Amino acid sequence: MKQLAIIVSWAAAVFACLFLLAPLVVIAAASFSPTPVFDLPTGGASLRWYSRIGTLDGFWPALWLSVEIAVLSTLISLVVGTLAAIAITRGKLPGSEILAAALVSPLMMPGLVLGIGLLQYYRSVGFTASWSGLLLAHLVITLPYVARTMIAGLSRFDFTLIEAGLTLGCTWPQSIVRVMIPALAPSFLIASLFSFLASFDNYPVSIFLTDVRTKTLPIKMLQYIEEAPDPTIAALSTIILAGTVALLLIADRAVGLSRMAGTAE
Amino acid sequence: MTAPDAGLHLSISNVSKRFGATTVLEDIHLGMAKGELVTLLGPSGCGKTTLLRVVAGLTHPDTGRVELAGRDITRAPPYKRNVGVVFQSYALFPHLDVAGNVGFGLKLRGLPKADIASAVHRALSLVHLERYADRPIRALSGGQQQRVALARAIAVEPSVILFDEALSALDRKLREAMQSELRHLLTQIGATAIFVTHDQEEALTMSDRVAVMYKGRIDQLADPRTLYDQPATAFALSFVGQSLSLKGKVVSSDADGSVVETSAGPLRVPRRFLRGSSVIVATRPEHVTLTAGDNTLTGTVVGATFQGSRSLVEIDAAGTRLTAEMPGRCTLPERGETVIFSWPLSETLSFSGEEHA
Repeated sequence: MKQLAIIVSWAAAVFACLFLLAPLVVIAAASFSPTPVFDLPTGGASLRWYSRIGTLDGFWPALWLSVEIAVLSTLISLVVGTLAAIAITRGKLPGSEILAAALVSPLMMPGLVLGIGLLQYYRSVGFTASWSGLLLAHLVITLPYVARTMIAGLSRFDFTLIEAGLTLGCTWPQSIVRVMIPALAPSFLIASLFSFLASFDNYPVSIFLTDVRTKTLPIKMLQYIEEAPDPTIAALSTIILAGTVALLLIADRAVGLSRMAGTAE
Repeated sequence: MTAPDAGLHLSISNVSKRFGATTVLEDIHLGMAKGELVTLLGPSGCGKTTLLRVVAGLTHPDTGRVELAGRDITRAPPYKRNVGVVFQSYALFPHLDVAGNVGFGLKLRGLPKADIASAVHRALSLVHLERYADRPIRALSGGQQQRVALARAIAVEPSVILFDEALSALDRKLREAMQSELRHLLTQIGATAIFVTHDQEEALTMSDRVAVMYKGRIDQLADPRTLYDQPATAFALSFVGQSLSLKGKVVSSDADGSVVETSAGPLRVPRRFLRGSSVIVATRPEHVTLTAGDNTLTGTVVGATFQGSRSLVEIDAAGTRLTAEMPGRCTLPERGETVIFSWPLSETLSFSGEEHA
């Protein structure tokens, strides 16, 4: 009976993995298709769609915008989110749990609602600059990831480490730079990774806040599919996928995937 | 106000500290010679950790003066004091390996790499961990982490090493082994050290002198033997070792001492008290015999337990439970038996009942 249960749960786990990964495999396979339709490459592989990515109309500005917004919002979130997490875990503020919940709440909110809400809000206060509007919206997206990871990291962090640094000869700033930040490096890495990816592939919030000239890569990609559904998009998707896998592998080498997925301890 | 003694290695004088309305340290005086091992012993909240932090520079006193190796360090930040601290949580740096932790302070002092490497090796061999230099911290056991924390503290050759409940996280057997090993090591390198603990056994084992702290004050500062034989206060008596004590009122007093009327009967104490004042009379369980003597009482045996080298007899004397310690092989009285018991006048301790009232 117990063995049967183990077999069933293993089967479920394997099936879930296959189910999640299958579309990615199909996309990757289709990107090597020699024909201009989304098809599995049965009659030989070709890299022609990869070479066409760069020639897509408005591709480079969209890519640059997405990277720029993702990097900037991640950096700002790291600073703000870490400080907020310190206040929440250390400050003994009244209602710090409510504060923590509020900080993480955008994670639970549908992106569409967030996007419409921000659009309405920007209009009502007369805020029309689309680039900074987009950055601000992405801060709302990335901050919860950073705050959540840093609250978890800091609640496990032993602040006597800083005192140990002081007694060994560190000044206060040295103790922060040489002890606290490196000791929290795994948390920083995980927070940045999640934050960057959340911003980079965001569609539902960005769609409400872009204009003709400021379009992020995910929005541009959907537009390409509507205009000309050829495997160029599959090729681009495969490159993004490969990049993500590379990032995850680096993070795994540095801190371990189980800690990242939150499945450890 | 006493002037700090010029011959002392560490001198704490008039130190007081308040946190809001609570006084955590009140007029503390403590002088230590070079190479001396002193323990601050007391229950939680007695101020012992705060005093340690004052020496480390992690807390600044409101009043008073701290001098270390002839230098006034009262206002000096921790990084300008040359103290080593072994924290209760060990506070090892998780991002560095064992050698990185031990060499951390030396690197900050800008020592050449070769000097750091040899100092790290020396410190690690003192704690028998030289083969663990490149292990990550998380791969070590609790006892090994404790040793690394110690090696890190001694590697910088501090003027004084401070131990904040440093052994309390270890299990009993390991703790006892570490106690004697640590004492041996500290004597070997001639270190001056302060231990903070609530464990009286640790205090007696580890130190040349013990400071018993209670409510922000040092109740008694004495060597372990004196502390046990002549506790200065009822608190010091109850906190260090086992004891039996009875409360009573002084009914007569002469040049030789006083007679105290307790609920179990009159008892003589070798100290003069005012008639009518309340006094606590006490002794150590090993001084009690089941015969008549100087201070004789009658009671009912409520329990007797054989513990190998000794036996404990619990006696109810007019409502007060007292424990007497007998040699292990003696014939124990039966439960419910009425016995007379006594202890000599020379082993009778007495304390004014108003102390710590």
